[in-house]
Amino acid sequence: MNRLRDYPVNADAGDLFRGATSEIVEKWEVLAGGLCALSEESGIPIQDIVSRQIADLGMSYLIAGDAEERPWPLAPMPLVIGAQEWEGIERGLIQRARLLEEVAADIYGPQRLVKDGLLPAAAITGSMYFARNLVGLQPSGNHYIHVYAVDLARGPEGQWRILSDRLRLANGVGYALENRLAMSRGTGALLHNINTRRLAHFFSELREGIGRDCQREDPRIALLTPGRFNQSYPEQAHLARYLGFPLVEGRDLTVSEDRLYVRTIAGPKRLDAVWRWIDTNALDPLTFDANSAIGVPDLFDAWARGGLEMANWPGVEVLESPTFSAFLPRLSSALLGEDTLLPNVATWWCGQPDEAQSVRERLDELVITAAFGEPVEGIQGRKPVAPARLGAKERERLLNAMERRPMDYCGQEIVHLSTTPALIEGEFLPRPFTLRAFVARGSDGEWIVMPGGFARISASDEISTTLMGEGDFSADVCVVDRLPTPQFGTTVLAGTPSIRRGGGFLASQAADNLYWLGRYCERAEATVRITRSLLGSSIEVDVAAGHSPEVHSLLAQLLHSWGAISAAGAKMPVQDVGRSVLTEKVLPGGVVRLIDNMRTVGLSLRDRLAPDFWRLANRPVPELASYPPGAMFRVARDLVERFSALSGMIAENLVKGPTWRFLDLGRRIERALSICRMIRQLCSAQVGTEALNVLLDLCDSQITYRSRYLAGAFRDPVLDLLLLDPENPRSLVYQLQTVQDHIEALPRLGERQLPEQPQREARAMLAPFLSLTVDALDANLLEETEARLLALSEAITARYFLQYEKSDQSDADNLLA
Amino acid sequence: MIYNVRHLTTLHYAGLVRLARFNVRLKPAPWPGQVLHDYRLTIDPLPWTVQEESGPFIVNRSRLTIRQPLGDLSIESRFRVEVAAPSFAMEIAVGPTVTQIRKLALTRKDLSASSPASYLYASPIAQLAPEIADWSREFFDPELSVLAAGRSLMEAIHCQFQYDDKATGTDTKPLEAFRARGGVCQDFAHIMIVAARAHGIPAAYVSGYLRTLPPPGKPRLVGADAMHAWVNLWCGDELGWIGFDPTNNLVTQADHIFVAMGRDYSDVAPLDGVYHGGAGQKMDVAVDVEPVS
Repeated sequence: MNRLRDYPVNADAGDLFRGATSEIVEKWEVLAGGLCALSEESGIPIQDIVSRQIADLGMSYLIAGDAEERPWPLAPMPLVIGAQEWEGIERGLIQRARLLEEVAADIYGPQRLVKDGLLPAAAITGSMYFARNLVGLQPSGNHYIHVYAVDLARGPEGQWRILSDRLRLANGVGYALENRLAMSRGTGALLHNINTRRLAHFFSELREGIGRDCQREDPRIALLTPGRFNQSYPEQAHLARYLGFPLVEGRDLTVSEDRLYVRTIAGPKRLDAVWRWIDTNALDPLTFDANSAIGVPDLFDAWARGGLEMANWPGVEVLESPTFSAFLPRLSSALLGEDTLLPNVATWWCGQPDEAQSVRERLDELVITAAFGEPVEGIQGRKPVAPARLGAKERERLLNAMERRPMDYCGQEIVHLSTTPALIEGEFLPRPFTLRAFVARGSDGEWIVMPGGFARISASDEISTTLMGEGDFSADVCVVDRLPTPQFGTTVLAGTPSIRRGGGFLASQAADNLYWLGRYCERAEATVRITRSLLGSSIEVDVAAGHSPEVHSLLAQLLHSWGAISAAGAKMPVQDVGRSVLTEKVLPGGVVRLIDNMRTVGLSLRDRLAPDFWRLANRPVPELASYPPGAMFRVARDLVERFSALSGMIAENLVKGPTWRFLDLGRRIERALSICRMIRQLCSAQVGTEALNVLLDLCDSQITYRSRYLAGAFRDPVLDLLLLDPENPRSLVYQLQTVQDHIEALPRLGERQLPEQPQREARAMLAPFLSLTVDALDANLLEETEARLLALSEAITARYFLQYEKSDQSDADNLLA
Repeated sequence: MIYNVRHLTTLHYAGLVRLARFNVRLKPAPWPGQVLHDYRLTIDPLPWTVQEESGPFIVNRSRLTIRQPLGDLSIESRFRVEVAAPSFAMEIAVGPTVTQIRKLALTRKDLSASSPASYLYASPIAQLAPEIADWSREFFDPELSVLAAGRSLMEAIHCQFQYDDKATGTDTKPLEAFRARGGVCQDFAHIMIVAARAHGIPAAYVSGYLRTLPPPGKPRLVGADAMHAWVNLWCGDELGWIGFDPTNNLVTQADHIFVAMGRDYSDVAPLDGVYHGGAGQKMDVAVDVEPVS
């Protein structure tokens, strides 16, 4: 059955599907039929099938001004473009990339275009990205541009046009990849069956294209991110993961003797190349914007003199201003001796008197754009203004500003978009679209175009200027061949990679975050366990009615001393204590805060954690409409289960390298602290059976105790099990032993391999427990051990983490106290 | 005129500062009519490295790296300079009109650090401000010479704005100072730059010095006890860049010593940098500009 038969668009409307040749129409129909069949067979709407893949991949994005990430909106119906039509686009884009490279080389080199009058100086200086101090510097690999993204529009006559060039950030390249992953996972062999070209080759070429320009064999390439508050951070993390590039922030990096190093737990490691996702102006506070907090001081020296490869070379952003569209067609003939294959939107820069005059005369047929992308008088933001739609006063204002500062404005033709079938609630409907395509240098230094890209489907005909606006959808783009073509397998690539183990290096900042993720996670778990115990023992049916007032008060005090509830809260009845633990949002030890902190540090670790882990850790504490003890007990139980699942993932899924070690180190140290504190609290004076039972509960050792001792809980056997039994994974000595193992396995600095401070601390802490018997247990030992644990934590911080930037650690300090 | 200039900056940090790296922009850059002699920059404590560079605008920059923990830092810049007054009679010079300069600035085939095109657009501090554009409209009669327009704009700033060193700080935006109708030389320079650029006239920020003691019988100039700032307007190929000092309502002559020119303060800041730690600093500046002959 042909699902697209009733698609309500005429053949002459310029629709992507209606305008396709019969061979391609067939592919569309196979795809449409396949998607509908999938949905009918499974009984799940196709949109839900796709959304589930998105959720599993952990894909999200941020809208500027929003605090929360949103799930990435992917429409299930891809765009289908035949190989022949695509070839035209491909050739046009490669020509454009060649041209941009030549122009960049001239602006930052001999500046002949300006001297010969082909490019006005003021068309360059208008861009805030023109980096004057880069003039005369040669990129080490001789390439200014490595990755280039471009927005394309398809007009009603099927004519493709370049809307804008993006050299600063290739936003969307990661989402294009993720869209394809989600579609392939959600739709089985469907894309393969219509001979869709694969994307993997493009990404391996991109990586090798950067690598080939580095000076060392086997170069170390990092993706430089502005950090987790950046709008496209989720995308950057995905890309880093996929390409195997370490994700680094400015504070991870340091420049010494003109070379760039990343600070790792094993000391500084040299970087050969950086794929930057930071503007030129923010890259180096000593050379550009002195207020930049995300850059690296002296980074300029590294690329100017130290052979650091930058993708893209700083300053190339100057070419992405709309003004260049007015000159590129002319420059193409001058520099390449070729006419442009793919036109850009017709543009007139008003910095030239004749152009300004003709824009004024045709004002109502055009849109007016800020010439250099930054807001100017009469044009807020990046969105062009249509004078035809302005009121008399605003129009006057704009004309006046254009008279005073003509060079701030460009006139551009109004672009109309053709439509593509979008599957909306089971029906195919026409929607306007734009396409973002990606071009990169491959392993041989030549340009290669990603076969596909990502399409933005909007509800209105307006051309969006952001990656993804309110109400927009993205869609996969399938470039299809008539016959199945051999896909680039591993044999076509430049040899298989050499075998590697380990996880590369671990940046100090990431180690810091992992350590605290572990600590927050464990602290939250311990707090919830106490709460669960307060709300009803998990195993003793008859205790469910409640603890004795003494034990209740001891546990409530413990919660208070951890900063989980207020002093007043600790004096309240059971259900009120439970409620304050689950809802406390201000105190640093409150469960909500701890989970929030986990999420915050976890965000910076996106590239290292599996999406499953991330999703689970990210889930907020359930909010209840009312707080009866039974419901709270269930919440506490579910949370304990959640933490167990996280522990399981840490144990089972992480490679046993430094990443795992730091995460586990944090958990072990926090757990050791909790054991010490709980035992001191509950074993203080006269020890009742009830307190010992609670202790066994809190330390999850009830079953072990019962299988070992027929009698009820007695002090010495309980303490032996919880403190000294090296086989009990919940015992103190077990934690201390594990801590020591981790620290011994971490890299040491220097040639002599002498034990460093953390090693000495860990060994000294463990030593007394190895020879101790329970009858010789000294009450002060636990207190001493607690102090030693805190000292160890500081030694780890001093040795492995960054020393100077500690501004965001106030919560951590609270936890330590 | 020949001057001996001594500029001493002392910094005291509340806490020790580590891995300090500073940009010092105190050595006068080459400028027509000015000859520099015996420049000496003295830093205490002695830096690990000092890198001298010029640019990216008309500015000299010394990059200091100080490795030892730092509590106090002193930077002394000393030089002797010969300053010649412009060779033409400023009072009778006319030069191109506002309309001509607007057009010339856009067509001149020059991308160098002193090109008019480089000082035509909004810059990090001197952002466009429609309010300032509207206020200054009356000074930019298209048929008036830029020299005359610059003079009346300068005079308007001098008369309408109050010199007040409490009203603003180093990071005050031009629009804030404009609304407050007060500020110091830096604010007046930025307001004048924003106003000139709003009408398509290339305008640059100049940092420099004034002679400390006035010639006999003349009043002491405002801003002589610290570094001073004024504005260069581009007045065409023949006149080139002409200095306007809105703080003192003067077209600059031999009393103004040029140090650096950029798009705004951020390009020529006498001192900026990065360091770890510190938590609060106290800065003292002493400037002495003594005429030798």
